[in-house]
Amino acid sequence: MHTRSTSMMKITRMVLLIAASLVINACQDFLEVPLQGTLTQSDFPTNETDALAATNAIYYILRESQYHTGLFPIDDILSDDAYKGSNPEDAASTVGPYENFVMFPTDAWFANWWNTLYRGVLRANVVIEYVPQIDMDEALRKRYIGEAKFLRALFYFDLVKAYGGVPLVTKTAPDFTQVRATKEEIWTLIEQDLTDAIQALPLRTAYPAKEAGRATQGAAQALLGKAHLYQGEFTLAAPQFDAVINSGLYDLEPDFDDANSVNGEFGVESVFEIGAVDGLLEGIENGTNYYANVQGVRGTPNRGWGFNRPSLELQAAFEANDPRLESTVIYLGEVLDGVTIAGDGPTPDETRNENGDLIEIECYNQKVWTPGQVVAPTQGHNRRLIRFADVLLMAAEAHNENGNAGVALTHLNRVRLRAREGNAAILPDVSVTDKTQLRARILQERRVELALEGHRFWDLVRTGNAPAVLGPLGFITGKHELFPIPQSEIDLTQQRLDQNPNWD
Amino acid sequence: MRTFYKIISLSLALMVAYSSTFAQGRMVSGRVISVEDQQPLPGVNVVVPGTGRGTVTDMDGRYAINLDEKDNSLVFSFIGYTTQTITVGTQTTVNVNLELDTQSLEELVVIGYGTVKKSDLTGSVGSVKTEDLVKVVASNPLQSLQGKIAGLQVINGSGTPGSAPIVRVRGVGTFNNNNPIYVVDGVILDDISFLNSSDIQSMELLKDASATAIYGNRGSNGVFIVTTKQGTTGGDGKAVINFSGEYSVQRLLKKIDLLNGRQFGEVVNQFRPGEYNNLDALPNTDWQDLIFSVAPMQNYQLSFMGGSERNQYYFSVGYFKQEGIIEKSSYERLSLRLNNAYKINNWLKMGNNLSFAPYKQQNTAGGAPFVVYRAQPVINPYLASPRGDTIYSEVPGVGNVLADIANTNSYNRGLRSVGSFFAEATINQDFRFRTSLGLDLAYGEAESFTPVFYVSPQQQNALNDLNKGSSIFTSWLWENTLSYTKDIGKHHVDALAGFTSQQLRNEFTNRSATDLARTDPNFWYINGNTVVPTSVNDGVDPANYFSMLSFLGRVNYVWNDKYLFTATFRRDGSSKFLVDNRWGNFPSIAAGWNLINEEFMSSIPLVSNLKLRASWGITGNDKISYLDGYSTIGSANAVFGAQESQFVGFTFSRLGNPDLRWELAKQTDVGLEFGFLEDKLTGELDYYNRNTEDILVGLRVPGYVGNGDQTVVYNAGSMLNTGIELSLAWTDEIGRFNYKVSGNLTTIRNEVTKITGTGTSDDELLAFYNGQTITRSRVGDPIGSFAGYVTNGLFQNQAELDAYPHRADAQPGDVRYVDINNDGLINANDITNLGSPIPTLMYGFSVEGWYGPFRLSLDFAGQSGNKIYNAKETVRPDLYNYEAHVYNYWRGEGTSTSEPRPTAGGSNFLLSDRFIFDGDFLRLRSLTLAYSLPKSVAEKAYLSKADVFLRGNNVFTRSKFPGYSPEAAGGSPLFNNIDTSVYPVASSYSLGINLTF
Repeated sequence: MHTRSTSMMKITRMVLLIAASLVINACQDFLEVPLQGTLTQSDFPTNETDALAATNAIYYILRESQYHTGLFPIDDILSDDAYKGSNPEDAASTVGPYENFVMFPTDAWFANWWNTLYRGVLRANVVIEYVPQIDMDEALRKRYIGEAKFLRALFYFDLVKAYGGVPLVTKTAPDFTQVRATKEEIWTLIEQDLTDAIQALPLRTAYPAKEAGRATQGAAQALLGKAHLYQGEFTLAAPQFDAVINSGLYDLEPDFDDANSVNGEFGVESVFEIGAVDGLLEGIENGTNYYANVQGVRGTPNRGWGFNRPSLELQAAFEANDPRLESTVIYLGEVLDGVTIAGDGPTPDETRNENGDLIEIECYNQKVWTPGQVVAPTQGHNRRLIRFADVLLMAAEAHNENGNAGVALTHLNRVRLRAREGNAAILPDVSVTDKTQLRARILQERRVELALEGHRFWDLVRTGNAPAVLGPLGFITGKHELFPIPQSEIDLTQQRLDQNPNWD
Repeated sequence: MRTFYKIISLSLALMVAYSSTFAQGRMVSGRVISVEDQQPLPGVNVVVPGTGRGTVTDMDGRYAINLDEKDNSLVFSFIGYTTQTITVGTQTTVNVNLELDTQSLEELVVIGYGTVKKSDLTGSVGSVKTEDLVKVVASNPLQSLQGKIAGLQVINGSGTPGSAPIVRVRGVGTFNNNNPIYVVDGVILDDISFLNSSDIQSMELLKDASATAIYGNRGSNGVFIVTTKQGTTGGDGKAVINFSGEYSVQRLLKKIDLLNGRQFGEVVNQFRPGEYNNLDALPNTDWQDLIFSVAPMQNYQLSFMGGSERNQYYFSVGYFKQEGIIEKSSYERLSLRLNNAYKINNWLKMGNNLSFAPYKQQNTAGGAPFVVYRAQPVINPYLASPRGDTIYSEVPGVGNVLADIANTNSYNRGLRSVGSFFAEATINQDFRFRTSLGLDLAYGEAESFTPVFYVSPQQQNALNDLNKGSSIFTSWLWENTLSYTKDIGKHHVDALAGFTSQQLRNEFTNRSATDLARTDPNFWYINGNTVVPTSVNDGVDPANYFSMLSFLGRVNYVWNDKYLFTATFRRDGSSKFLVDNRWGNFPSIAAGWNLINEEFMSSIPLVSNLKLRASWGITGNDKISYLDGYSTIGSANAVFGAQESQFVGFTFSRLGNPDLRWELAKQTDVGLEFGFLEDKLTGELDYYNRNTEDILVGLRVPGYVGNGDQTVVYNAGSMLNTGIELSLAWTDEIGRFNYKVSGNLTTIRNEVTKITGTGTSDDELLAFYNGQTITRSRVGDPIGSFAGYVTNGLFQNQAELDAYPHRADAQPGDVRYVDINNDGLINANDITNLGSPIPTLMYGFSVEGWYGPFRLSLDFAGQSGNKIYNAKETVRPDLYNYEAHVYNYWRGEGTSTSEPRPTAGGSNFLLSDRFIFDGDFLRLRSLTLAYSLPKSVAEKAYLSKADVFLRGNNVFTRSKFPGYSPEAAGGSPLFNNIDTSVYPVASSYSLGINLTF
């Protein structure tokens, strides 16, 4: 009896245990509600399709409005080439200060740009970190990682150019306790990434036409050359530019307009360009880019917000009868693609200072013009990040610094030849060989050829011309060479990141 | 409840009557009526003392009883009335007037998973009955609750037909979702817009933790218990049929005072000289007159109520239709309800409460009131048309509102069905087991179509477009409870244990297409025949897809009706949280002391009720999206190729926090209930202290992590709400005039006590309006505190301008902003706290009087101590119309110290104290005058009761705020009481009838 009751007890206990565990398991299962239609980061990327999708997703950043200096073209507005634009009241307190260097580390644009560039870095790191672990086609793996490294270098290029030494993030899950790396460490990463990318990436012609816009070997070479140029490493820069020029894959568009127009999209002059859908549907998820929308003609026709107004100084900087002026500035009353530019009501056609001198006229940036009467098509504008004319002028600069004035002049005059449009009476060939004078001529040519394309301010800073040229506008030497580290970033890192000099 | 007791006691008394022995003697008969309403009282026990013999009054209050020779008196007793002993003597007719006895009126209060005698209640519970719920004509029963319950704030921010008010219980408890839950016949819901007010028997609001902790992780924001009407037992089985109908007209309460055409022209000429050369010739368009009109509202219901001892039923049909005061807005709802209860045998009862409510809503142009507010009065709305068709004029900056409305075709349709099925078994006389299955099913459709139109480059639509959306919501809730009730001598015990499980899922689909081949509604479909679809998006709403398991228990113990103890406990498991933090425990304890039942109180006859109670407990708030715990992948397409096609991209999109926990509210409540002068004066006083911890806060992380400005949700905040609630009611009569005056008030002190960020910038929570900081919540401040500049008059001349820090564009005549931090600059660092949106005092009071067949009632609601932000006046990127006060502009030194020189926009319109107003208001929420037809007249029409009434809602509002209404509801506590222009709340006037057959 004793044994029996003990075993009964044991059985009872066991049954209870099983029942209890069943109930508990059932409970756990009941409360396990998987995400619906949402992937988590622990499940991605895991296959070849994912690898491609993750690579494509990096390019998306380039179309984000805040990728473009945080939304507004503040670098052009800082330069002597442009005013804020729009009507006088619009963004007067937020973008206006960039006309005369009274901006603050708390300004949204600094944080917007920083955050967006680092979002790009994260996306590149996803590919660089995970794609090597995927079982997939070797050639594609190599290319995807190459694209990611090119784009990571592109993002870090802007970061180091604008902010100096920044946190060096090469993993998808960085420590929250990082500090700023040195400028040199960032340049080293950029150079290494681009060197890897040059090895991994195909030539532009190796991509099918419908994938034009992916990173190419030529783009990586041009960017590597530019990285060296920005560091004053002219002997290292020149061979990279030469490689692009000598590849025979690039040339100048016959018509200067097409360097930025719809016609020239992914054309022969395009070294690296941001594709955007020229549709009727607005919104970045529909493939659009707000870069041209921000700068588009304000009022009638309604093509955008009208920021980045070409300055009278810029307009005066063009040589007499340089056709590029007409192609750079949209004037009121002008007829473009059959559309008459009437402009904006609240914006004065002319603005004068206290002395009655004309200081600003209502005009717009023509380089972002797209045919049409409404806003949506402007969002299909393809911004050219690197174009062949820029490569030629950078090559000219590097060769001049290396003492090869002849090569420099060849490249410089090639740009002027196209600009001339066959009119021998204008834009004569440059023949000056004095290094200093030629340096100034090349900088001048960059100003007019690449006007309002976001180069001028950085060119002035890196060539040391900023204090002289921008000083009257408020540029302070020792401060304004760099943007401030966004105040929000300093706060969010609990002061682990130091502020740039004189921005405190 | 009175009817219920009448019926119970009637049946009991009938049994007693049958058992009484027939005896010889004399017959005494008579009629028992109620003093209060002079109506007959059925079911009154009429007993011969000391004999056990007795009878009960019939439906007309009549009785007849045989008395023995020695019997000399009769005792008349009825629950809720003072028992009377009448000496019969030689009388053969004894008519009795019974008086209501509020002291012994053992009102039952519905609480979570049960009921409790009011005197045994240890928690803080507010209550509203049907009569008060139908005083405001509205689609949503919550509209009626403004000013009705202490501690409850109901904000009627929008007058959009069909819109629900914002409801807050005892302040704002979290930075996130502050909405209470609604338990309708046991089914836990987030929204009761489907409920017809007339179907509601009672609504109780559970406020303190002793009452709400039984709802665990959902109790923090307060719990409404809604009980719908049930059938009747007993009687003669005759059904009570009720019809009520009400027709109302609504109109705009008041217009906003804006500049007329001439004034506008004059103002604009000040900064654009010569803009308008001939002021007299300027058009004068009053855009408000063009869009606001008088609109009807109708509300009808028909109900059948009846039953027998074995089964009871309540069936109703309701129809509500409200046209908006702006064209193309309306709300229409049909509500059907069937509540049944069946007594299967003497231990098993089953039943169902089913409702079914199809509705249709039309939405007018979203920003219409804002567009009207800004539209220049010097523009004629239409252009002359040679062919006589309508050509809308271009209105600078905002577009032509009439064209907006004409081109808006937006509808919501759907149906909601909420039901519960239950079975209840009495195991022995002490135990009862109840199981119930609650269902909440909702189908919703949204549809909007915009045709091709052209008014101006800024107001046009090049291709027609159609957007459609649908959602299917399903929720089931299975609840099982075992309850135990026992009286042993002076001990009374009530205990409850339960297990519940629930699952919710809401799936939605959105489709859109452009360029439909035909534009009429017959072609508003997306298929390959007439249109190319442009986007389809379907998914599951992450805030509404989860399962929950809960264990709950409660013990009430009462000793000698004097000492009360309650303990509750709930353990909730929710799939919204990842494994480690999935389960939460929510306890509460409470004690009460019925002082009135102590011996020493009998020496104070003035006091008729006195109870002290106190409670403490923890509740939770789980109203978050479960996605916040996960790091997710998102789509990000690339565009390549000269043909510009999109390439699919996916990547890391948002960082999650797997360590998320529940938000917890710890609440203490001390209350005093009292009655004086035989409960002519009754009241309740409560002190509450609710401390919410671990509030979920979305915080930014360093940008270099790559999460952009998206936030990661952490348990990082705390908030405290404290205050006092007082309710008072006085009931009395003056001759034939009976009246009741009642009121309540609530004080709220709200304070953010902790915001822990990953950096210093996150020690505050910000909300923005057009890029400017409009609220800034810092530790020590109320949540959602208004932010802006402080102003100090105007710069009267250049010397003043030179002597004082100013904005770069400032001129004499401009607003002088105060340099708060004294750094010589006027910039964002000078933005400061300009006041709180949360009232420090809320109140409501009602006066109700009866004189013969007439009844008059007035209900007021009000609040004070808060501010309201007139944000709509601030940001002016273009030239818009102005509020009328602008006409008093500065015309040179000394001409004005408050109204700056005219400008199109700019510095004078920065968010500042110029746009902050006192949020105080007092509103006559409802005014009803009713007349009951004399019974003789009613009976001729086969009616037992017939009332006719006149009613006004929102009859007047006293407020200093120049907007349409001093209430601007904000769904987010960070953006609250900010008027960014809303669909104005209307006032309405009704004529109605109420017939009972």
